[in-house]
Amino acid sequence: MSAAHDEGHGHGPAAAELPPGVKLAPGDPEQTWVEKLYLPEVARGLNNTFKHIFRKKFTIDYDQTDRDNPAKFHRPREGYRGEHYLKKDEDGHVKCVACFMCAAACPAECIHIEAEATPTDWNNRERYPRRFEIDMLRCIYCGMCEEACPVDAIALSTTYNLVADTREAKVYDRDKLMKTGEDLGISLSKHKYRPDGVPGAVPHKKAH
Amino acid sequence: MADYLWKLLPILLVFGGVLGIVPFLVFLERKICAYIQDRVGPNRVGLLGPDGFLEAVVGVPITKKRILGGFFQPLADAIKLITKEDFIPSHAEKFLFTMAPFFALLPPFLAFIVIPVGPDVTLFGQSVMLQVADLNVGVLWILAVASLSAYGVAMGGWASNSKYSLLGGIRATAQMISYEVAMGIVLLSVLMHYDSVSLRDMVGVQSAGLGSWGLWHQPVAFILFVICAFAENNRLPFDLPECEAELVGGYHTEYNSMKFGMFFQGEYIAMLGMGALTTALFLGGWHFPGYAWLKETIGAWVTVFALAAFAAKVMAFVLFQMWVRWTLPRFRYDQLMNLGWKGMIPIALLNLIVTAWINLPKGT
Ligand code: SF4
Ligand code: SF4
Repeated sequence: MSAAHDEGHGHGPAAAELPPGVKLAPGDPEQTWVEKLYLPEVARGLNNTFKHIFRKKFTIDYDQTDRDNPAKFHRPREGYRGEHYLKKDEDGHVKCVACFMCAAACPAECIHIEAEATPTDWNNRERYPRRFEIDMLRCIYCGMCEEACPVDAIALSTTYNLVADTREAKVYDRDKLMKTGEDLGISLSKHKYRPDGVPGAVPHKKAH
Repeated sequence: MADYLWKLLPILLVFGGVLGIVPFLVFLERKICAYIQDRVGPNRVGLLGPDGFLEAVVGVPITKKRILGGFFQPLADAIKLITKEDFIPSHAEKFLFTMAPFFALLPPFLAFIVIPVGPDVTLFGQSVMLQVADLNVGVLWILAVASLSAYGVAMGGWASNSKYSLLGGIRATAQMISYEVAMGIVLLSVLMHYDSVSLRDMVGVQSAGLGSWGLWHQPVAFILFVICAFAENNRLPFDLPECEAELVGGYHTEYNSMKFGMFFQGEYIAMLGMGALTTALFLGGWHFPGYAWLKETIGAWVTVFALAAFAAKVMAFVLFQMWVRWTLPRFRYDQLMNLGWKGMIPIALLNLIVTAWINLPKGT
C-alpha cells in the first residue's frame, strides 16, 4: 500500500518561464514512508473522529417552541437575504418610482415592472409601477435589486421559509410584496426584520 | 417434507433479520455521521411529541417533549420513497433501467445464503442447521455473487444514458474487478489456513477459544480483506462510483423513488454481508469466549447467545465501516488503482506464499 504518490502534483512550467514575481504554489508536502503506508494515518483519523462523537454539538435545536429563546428559535443574522418586500412612502403608496434599475441589475432577470404615470393626487413623483412582479423561483437572492434601487424602495427581508404549494404562488405581485411589508410593520422604517414572529422575523441580537 | 419446512427457520431468521435491520442501519449511519461532524442528526420524527409518528396518526398533540426523536425517520423516508412518482427518464433504456436495482439488491442477499449464523439447534427432535445452505463451495459462492453486484451498478449506469451515471458504472466495474483480484488472493490464503472451502467448517475450526480465531492466524489477510470489503461495497474511501463531488450521484444519478431505495438498501445489505463474511472468516463466527461453559450451564439456550454474538460482531463491523466512511476522504481514481494493483495485490501474493510455506507440512 505504498505507491499512490509517485505521480507528481502541479509541476507546471519551470520557474524560469514564469513572469517575474509569480511563484508556484507549494505542492503537497513529501510523505514519509510511514504516511505512505496509510494505515497509521487512518488510525489517527479514526481517533480524531471518535473524539468528535463526544464533543459538544454545534446544532441549535430550533424546535420553534420558544420564539424569544435564541437557543430554541433560529433567527438569521443581520444581512441575511430572504424574500423581498416593497416599502411605502409617507402617504402609504408604494415607494418605488418605476425606474427599472432593479430589473436591470437583476442577474436572474426575475423582476418584471410595468410603469405608469402616477395618479394626480400623488404629488411626490411622476411614475409608479402598475405591475411589479418578482419570480421568487428564479431569484437567486443576491440582493442586487436592493443595492440598485435609488430610492430605497425594495429590500430583502430575513424570511427564509420559502415554501409554497404551487409555482404560481411563488410569483409575488406588487400587492403581495407590499402586503408583506405591511404585515411586517416595516413600511417606513429602515428596519428590515419582521417583529411579528414570522420565522426569521426578530432582530438579531449581536451578542449571539 | 418436514425437512423443507424446517429449512424455513434459517431462511426467515437470516432474511427477516437482514431486512429488519436495514432501516435501523440507515438511521444509525445518519446519527453517526452527525455526531462525528458535531451535529445532532435526525431528531424530529419520533414516537411521541411534535412531529412524532403516533401524533401524526392520532392527529392531536400528546406531549411537548420528543420521545425517540429521529428513530422513525427511516419509516418516514420509506413512505416518501414508496409514494414518490416512479419516474423513468425518456432517454433511458427502460428495461435495463428497471432491472438494474434488482440486480443491485439481489446479490448481497444471495451472499447471505452460505453464512452460518449459529450452531445447530434441536427443535422438537429435529436438528436444524442455522445456515440457509451449507454449500461445499461456500467461499467461491460468495465471490461469485459478490461480483454479480457490479452488474447492477454497471447496468444502472449504462441504462440511465447519462454521462455521470455511465462514468459511475464504469468506475464501479473497474474498481470491483481490481479489488476482487486482491480479495480472491486473500481468500486463497484463508482457505489454505482453514483447509476447507465451506464456511461451516471454517467456523468449526474457530471454535477452540479466542486464540483460534482467524484474525490471529491471518492478520495480514484480515487487514487486506477489510480494505477489499470497503472497495467491494463502494464505501468511502472507495466510493468513486457514487462520488457526489464530481459525478452528482454516480450510477444512481437518474434514479428516484423506490428504485433508488433499492440501490440504497442493496448497499446496506452488502455492508451487512461483508460484516457477516468477515465474522465467519476471521472473527470466530458465532463463537464467543465462554461458549462451552455456557453450553453446559444452560444447555440449548446457548443458541440465543450464539446468535447474539454473531449479530454483535456483524454490527461492530458495520459500525466500523460507517466510522471509516465519515473519517476518510475519497481516493483519487489513479490512487485507487495504484493502491489496488501495486499495493494490495503484491502484499496479498506475498501473504499467500508465506501461508503456503507455513501450511506446507499440513498437506498430504
Ligand atoms: S435578489 Fe437578485 S436575483 Fe433576486 S430579484 Fe433581486 S436582483 Fe434579482
Ligand atoms: S430600483 Fe427601486 S424605484 Fe427603481 S423600479 Fe426597482 S424598486 Fe422601483
